[in-house]
Amino acid sequence: MSDLFNVNVTVNGTLYEREVEPRILLSDFLRHDLGLTGTHVGCEHGVCGACTVLFDGNPVRSCLMFAVQTNGHEVTTVEGLGDIDDLHPIQQAFWEAHALQCGFCTPGFLTTLVPFLEENPDPSEEEIRNAISGNLCRCTGYQHIVEAVQLAAEKMRA
Amino acid sequence: MTYKFIGKRIKRNEDPRLLTGQALFVDDVDIPGMLHVAFVRSDYAHARILNIETEAARQHPGVVAVYTAEDMGDEWAPGPPLVSPPPTLAGVIFNSRRQSPLAKGKVYHAGEAIVAIVAESRYIAEDAADEVRVDYEPLPVVVDLEKAMGPDSPRVHDDLDTNLAAHMFQKKGDYEVARAQADLIIKKKFFLDRGAAVAMENRGVVAHWDEKSQQMTIWDTTQAPIPIRNGTAARLGLSQKQVRVIAPFLGGGFGPKAMMFYPEEMLIPWLSMKLCRPIKWIEDRRENFYATTSERQQVHEVEIALTNDGRVLGLKDDFLHDTGAFDPYGLTIPLNTQCHVTGPYDIQNIASNCTAVFTNKPIVTPVRGAGRPQGVFIIERMMDFAARELGMEPLELRVKNLIPPEAFPYDKEIIDQAFAKLILDSGNYLPVVEKAREMIGYDQFIKEEQPRLRAEGKFVGIGITPFIETTGVGPYEGVRIQIEPSGKVNVATGIGTQGQGHFTSFAQIVSEQLGVAVSDVSLVSGDTAEFHWGTGTFASRGAVVAGSATLAAATSVRTKVLKLASKVLETPEEELELEDGVVRVADLPHRSISLGELAALANPLRGAVEPGTEPGLEATDYFGPAYGATSFGVHAMIIEVDPETMMIEFKRYITVEDCGTVLNPLILEGQIHGGVSMGIGNSYYEKMHWDENGQLLNASLADYLIVTAHEMPNRIEVGHLETRSPFNKLGTKGVGEAGAIPVTACFTQALENALEEYHLEILESPLSPNRLYELLRNLTMSTYGREARK
Amino acid sequence: MKIEGEYTFTGPREKVWEIIRDPEILATALPGTKKLELVGENEYEGEMQVRIGPVAGVFGGKLIVSNEVAPESLTLTVEGVGKVGFLKGSGDIVLRDQDGNSTLMKYSGEVQIGGKVASVGQRLFDAVSKSMIRQGLGKLNEALRV
Ligand code: FES
Ligand code: FES
Repeated sequence: MSDLFNVNVTVNGTLYEREVEPRILLSDFLRHDLGLTGTHVGCEHGVCGACTVLFDGNPVRSCLMFAVQTNGHEVTTVEGLGDIDDLHPIQQAFWEAHALQCGFCTPGFLTTLVPFLEENPDPSEEEIRNAISGNLCRCTGYQHIVEAVQLAAEKMRA
Repeated sequence: MTYKFIGKRIKRNEDPRLLTGQALFVDDVDIPGMLHVAFVRSDYAHARILNIETEAARQHPGVVAVYTAEDMGDEWAPGPPLVSPPPTLAGVIFNSRRQSPLAKGKVYHAGEAIVAIVAESRYIAEDAADEVRVDYEPLPVVVDLEKAMGPDSPRVHDDLDTNLAAHMFQKKGDYEVARAQADLIIKKKFFLDRGAAVAMENRGVVAHWDEKSQQMTIWDTTQAPIPIRNGTAARLGLSQKQVRVIAPFLGGGFGPKAMMFYPEEMLIPWLSMKLCRPIKWIEDRRENFYATTSERQQVHEVEIALTNDGRVLGLKDDFLHDTGAFDPYGLTIPLNTQCHVTGPYDIQNIASNCTAVFTNKPIVTPVRGAGRPQGVFIIERMMDFAARELGMEPLELRVKNLIPPEAFPYDKEIIDQAFAKLILDSGNYLPVVEKAREMIGYDQFIKEEQPRLRAEGKFVGIGITPFIETTGVGPYEGVRIQIEPSGKVNVATGIGTQGQGHFTSFAQIVSEQLGVAVSDVSLVSGDTAEFHWGTGTFASRGAVVAGSATLAAATSVRTKVLKLASKVLETPEEELELEDGVVRVADLPHRSISLGELAALANPLRGAVEPGTEPGLEATDYFGPAYGATSFGVHAMIIEVDPETMMIEFKRYITVEDCGTVLNPLILEGQIHGGVSMGIGNSYYEKMHWDENGQLLNASLADYLIVTAHEMPNRIEVGHLETRSPFNKLGTKGVGEAGAIPVTACFTQALENALEEYHLEILESPLSPNRLYELLRNLTMSTYGREARK
Repeated sequence: MKIEGEYTFTGPREKVWEIIRDPEILATALPGTKKLELVGENEYEGEMQVRIGPVAGVFGGKLIVSNEVAPESLTLTVEGVGKVGFLKGSGDIVLRDQDGNSTLMKYSGEVQIGGKVASVGQRLFDAVSKSMIRQGLGKLNEALRV
């Protein structure tokens, strides 16, 4: 068995100190060590985007990172965006526009879109489609997702 | 009929949990002491297992147990067959061959599980799996359908003389007579290939045998929790009461999660009992391509007989259907193909001959569409070729042959997946076609726009495709509804839900009856401890069958509410109304009592409940349709082909649906968009590539391409017309698969139309940019050849 | 999958033959070969490290030489198994004298792969195998000069 490494990482504002094997993926660490199961795993090889989290504010695929790499950094998962009765405007817009069906891909879309909308408060449809082109959704056909992003942008500008 | 809740665009009850990462999926289940399983799977598609060396894996630190088929001893048994072949068909042959929990003696397809490793973590289990050595004697592999039925083909199952899995012949009228009367006979051969369902969530099973309470709890990514419970109880020698199966939130289903008794579903609960520990197995994406079922491979030889003025007199279809290495799902898919190969057309003479074939490929079970897209593809291709031969407008030929409204209920005389003759319950097809034609601007496009764009050198084409979808088949579903003293309403049903919005659409039905807010109705689905009668979510039947049961139960509760309120408010029932969570006297709204108070009164702590009444405001009801409800729809698209890259751009995409009463248009649109996206994938991007050794060459999402936001049309415009189904009180028909069914047919039509000058004849699906390039190149080469010879 | 090609060695045919029949030289020439031992007449056993795109692993297996017509032609059969799948193939090699003291090698054969290498690495297998063959033949050609 390999040696354990210390990881001190702030996830959704809480500092966690854990010892992990160096090969543990960030996705597994978040889901199984920290119990933050909102981050989903759809492909384990960086294609589907379901496992996207924010690493120091930037979207990364947590299935392509090791937990030890987050030592000293900040991670935000879907659980850190909003609460059931206090949704983030993007979550609210997804709800209103019916941008989710099974909801499995949704956390990855939300975490991809938060920084995108911060940088592009008034995106064109083309820009939106580009922004989500690395996230796969098998249920929605993307149209309602695009509409939700437009709606969220409106909400956030207001 | 005007509704207050039904038919409204209501936000979904289930979304806040999903949006905040609080919804429970199977892989989120975490139980102290839980062990993890990894499988050693076959690298060969067909081989004898000579020896399995597991010692090193057993010694691996952290490994708790290692099982092969041998290690299971007497408890190794193949899975139960799911459905039997249609008993009412004369002369049907069905050879049942079943999958087993772990391969014994021989592997039948690549990816078949051979060894299960149980360890303290998944990481350790996978490390140990690498240390297992399996010695194989490779056997000749059966991949190609036509070769599989040849006299010299190797055989998948040693105990059968051929690779014939099933044979069935169905007919209506007499095709040979029609043929003799016809002015025009067209004959074609088509090749359709396999695609994968690719739910974003892979499969998974967590089983927890609690020795002390003698209870088995299973979390399973299944579309059919109740049959899984019943089968598991039987396999493990437990009573049904001892087994609870929970299908929590599922990350998409699309059919394969309704397959019953995947090897892992048989094995994981058994292991939990053996080891008295909770056990989890979660499929990875590569396993998903091999170990989860897939569909659509068929080879059709088709003949259509017409008159010169475009009446279709008859259709003959001889087809091979790939069933994979085993056939636990029976003949559902080819039966659907047989039912849809005549489409929405009034064709009086049909001869359909189906041969299901064993191959060394993973098991075939329904994927969204379930054999229907193949049938629709065939008839629509034949219609296109016929229109060309007859010099008719493709749409005109179709309209001419539609089943007329007065012909309903219309008997297709073909046995469907419910093993009864397919009766189309109701329909009025022409207005739907007209609406689609108008929405897409068919005439204007053909007459003005297309010639103009063509003159600019653009390759633009139009496709318009009517189709039927049989939905809402039996046997039955049930629902229990109870009003709580808080005034909230609990609903429990046995079907599982995979994103179709049942939490909301069923709540709307309840709200309509009880006058409560949709958000006050909470639904539990897919938990056998909550409701334990039913079959599952498949065949676009959830909204129709469970929805109708919901209506029945809600109506019963309403009756109880009125009866009690009438007594309490001293007012005749007819003068009462249910509104905003209270029962009130219609003209005297201040005289009211809340549903919660009534519920408390209905369950008194003292005194006596009157004889003949039941405590509480609760009712359970069932719905079992004699026939399914058949939806009708039209898809139409305008596409542009880039002649350099062969990439496609969707200029317009229209669907018009008639699925009877719409419960929630928002959800309906979502279902259609999603179906279309899968259909587009099936048309032009998604194909499972098997090599001649039965190896799947694109078993990852990097190689198997499902559509992204870029490949989709920007806007799918959804139109709607309503012909209520007379077979259920809601008047609704299913729509879950409709989005996917006609897309390949319509796309192919549009593609040929865009490339009209090449006289391309497309006889296969799926295509791809590469394949289209090849087809065009072959065509121009053969034209060159002809020119040169002249 | 079919593999086919030709290669010109700068050396006489007998010399080329000698080299391809020498396991030690062969071992250095086949990229990623960790060992190659003669275990029987015309039968070698060895291990090879292979990387094809995302899939990497060690294949252990056999190499058998048959139909030998020295110094002209032979048939090579390989069979390898590893954690990432299996590989099986056979091919014919023919040597011909060329002008100016050089030798033309023609090779053609079939390779079958299965398991992870097939399902995930297939896209790249063609390119990887071609480059491995090129590299290997280049090495052998260099060995000729020594
Ligand atoms: S799971 Fe990380 S990208 Fe798919
Ligand atoms: S909502 Fe199911 S995958 Fe996106």
